[in-house]
Amino acid sequence: MNKTYDVVIVGAGVIGTSCAYHLVKKGFQVALVEKKDLARETSSHCDAVALIPDKMPGIDAAMGYASIQRFKELEKELNYDFEFHQNGSLHLCETDQEMEIATKYANDLIAEGYAIDILNPEELLEKEPFLATDLKGGLFSHECCGVNPYKLCFAFVDAVQGKGLDVYTHTTVTDIRRDADNNVVGVETDNGILKTNKVVNCCGVWAPEIGKMVGIDIPIKPRKGVILISGAGFPICKQKIHEFGYMVSKFDDIQCERDPEVEKYNVAFTIEPSAGNNVLIGSSRNFDGYDVDAEIDIIRVIAKRAVRFFPILKNINCIRSYAGVRPFIEEHLPLITHVKEIPGYYIAAGHEGDGISMAPLTGRLISEMIAGEEPCMDVTPFSFSRYK
Amino acid sequence: MKLSETGILTKADLVEMGRYPSEERMKKGPVAVAECVQDIPCNPCETACPFKAIHIGENISNLPKIDVNKCNGCTTCVSACSGLAIFVLDKSYSDSYGKVTFPYEYNHSFKVDDIVKAANRGGKHVCEGKILKITNTQKADRTTVITLEVPIEYVDEVRSIYRDKQHQSSKEEIMSEKLADDVLVCRCEEITAGEIREAIRQGATDITGVKLRTRAGMGLCQGRTCEALVNQIIRQELGNSPADIGFSTPRTPQRPVTFGTLGGDLDE
Ligand SMILES: Cc1cc2nc3c(=O)[nH]c(=O)nc-3n(C[C@H](O)[C@H](O)[C@H](O)COP(=O)(O)OP(=O)(O)OC[C@H]3O[C@@H](n4cnc5c(N)ncnc54)[C@H](O)[C@@H]3O)c2cc1C
Repeated sequence: MNKTYDVVIVGAGVIGTSCAYHLVKKGFQVALVEKKDLARETSSHCDAVALIPDKMPGIDAAMGYASIQRFKELEKELNYDFEFHQNGSLHLCETDQEMEIATKYANDLIAEGYAIDILNPEELLEKEPFLATDLKGGLFSHECCGVNPYKLCFAFVDAVQGKGLDVYTHTTVTDIRRDADNNVVGVETDNGILKTNKVVNCCGVWAPEIGKMVGIDIPIKPRKGVILISGAGFPICKQKIHEFGYMVSKFDDIQCERDPEVEKYNVAFTIEPSAGNNVLIGSSRNFDGYDVDAEIDIIRVIAKRAVRFFPILKNINCIRSYAGVRPFIEEHLPLITHVKEIPGYYIAAGHEGDGISMAPLTGRLISEMIAGEEPCMDVTPFSFSRYK
Repeated sequence: MKLSETGILTKADLVEMGRYPSEERMKKGPVAVAECVQDIPCNPCETACPFKAIHIGENISNLPKIDVNKCNGCTTCVSACSGLAIFVLDKSYSDSYGKVTFPYEYNHSFKVDDIVKAANRGGKHVCEGKILKITNTQKADRTTVITLEVPIEYVDEVRSIYRDKQHQSSKEEIMSEKLADDVLVCRCEEITAGEIREAIRQGATDITGVKLRTRAGMGLCQGRTCEALVNQIIRQELGNSPADIGFSTPRTPQRPVTFGTLGGDLDE
């Protein structure tokens, strides 16, 4: 401790570790300070898929696409296997109304140049034989990929630790020091002080706390999600699958009729194959503070939804459940930004349900901003100044 | 007292289930008894028996049926049973003494003619016994099979012997023993001690760190079986205190439950 760094990153989830990696690659001396250990919070309590058909057309989808391309490069760049796989994804429609909305929405994405197929019920069953037979159709996106989220964090750190990156785990940031002109001059922790002119707040749902330290209000709220895991068996599904209702639960501005029980916890069925023939089944979206208990009430609704889409699950065991809290932000756009009023203070947080997929791009943008380079994409929508 | 009340099987339980050889049969000569009462999917005994006296059938969760007429008490099944639940009993030996043959998987230096403390199914010392035979075949893969002479009234009770004092290690000794790299620690996910050490080299310092890097503890049993060993390995490698090594987070459901059950009455 008591060293001087070019940049101090607070929080070692997927966002903080990606920023660390990208900053060291630009030649900076970086400290990564983490209260617990690498990837112990949201970044290991989630799924990890990078999707296009769950993004609104426009910048959101563009970021999704850019992230997928970046994962392909990272797979070659990083020496640590983070289980990258690209086998596409399916979105399922339960009603004609959903299918209608999905078709329109898919056509918008196709018009922007994304490879999406609109499937009828027969085509759907051909892709996934264990699906319920009464579905109305769906969307298939070729590009979608998945990674192991916490291994991605390990991979980022593994590549640069000791080569420009020092990691301080079990170290809590308690304050940010500024000089008389509000410039960042250091980071206080429960283990000592790190001198620096630049700090990046990558604290996910805790970003507001690190905001308060410099007197700014970061409007991020924890939005909980529960996931169930099946026992190892045979491959139930071949790719990531989501009910199209997922879109509805994610973006409240797409209107659809939904079951009240499902509505209460904003449950939308998702399933993805994981290592060892297990499947991960999700998920819910509700505001319940920082609590990460997987309540039985939510588990029940998710299990019910799962059996509705995959009747075969009825007799398959659930062996574990867990919950995580997504860093929710009203506008569905993260903050990836310098805070002008506090020179040297950056924020990279608020990725809600896309933090894993957007991590590579976020790290890159932050490193470009700090290096004073032109960012690889327009960062105005991610700017903190949108709150004025 | 019965199994359901004490957790310890009794002869009465076995007789009631029709799973114990008759007095008459035991008086004729050695015969195997499978004290196996749970529907575990397991059938090595069936294939081990050279006389085809053990039957399990298609459903491998069936309990083994021993045909006491085909069984000649050869003891092959004793070492084949991974649950250490098969014994060979003999009340034809003399009027006052009988023989009990049982599997023994501890280190020992017992010799034939040693007088040892014989123990019942609950592990309690009930009488003295004399070792008549110790076999350690290659096929038995380190499961020693011991035949003990005991007073005839104890043949239905004695199922093992007290451990050899010289070979009892203290808890500290056991905990400081270093597992070979190829030992499977997490059986559900098939993770070896070597893989766990590699995770520690990569930066894991606690149970969760090892779990995230290797999947040890993520399988069907949720770490109930391997957590103590993972803890031991971390302690040996890093000298961390148990408090720092921590525990894995308990997760609902504690035992596997079908999605159908969790989801409620899905038939209606
Ligand atoms: C159920 C669920 C499913 C999801 N599915 C997907 C998906 O399919 N695809 C996808 O892309 N995303 C998904 N997400 C979202 C994704 O998990 C998050 O967006 C992402 O993990 C956020 O990462 P982060 O680094 O911002 O936060 P975190 O991983 O929470 O990291 C923040 C870190 O800051 C540390 N910290 C806090 N306070 C301090 C302090 N004072 N000092 C030092 N350190 C501190 C914390 O200990 C923590 O390690 C899902 C999330 C959930 C909950």
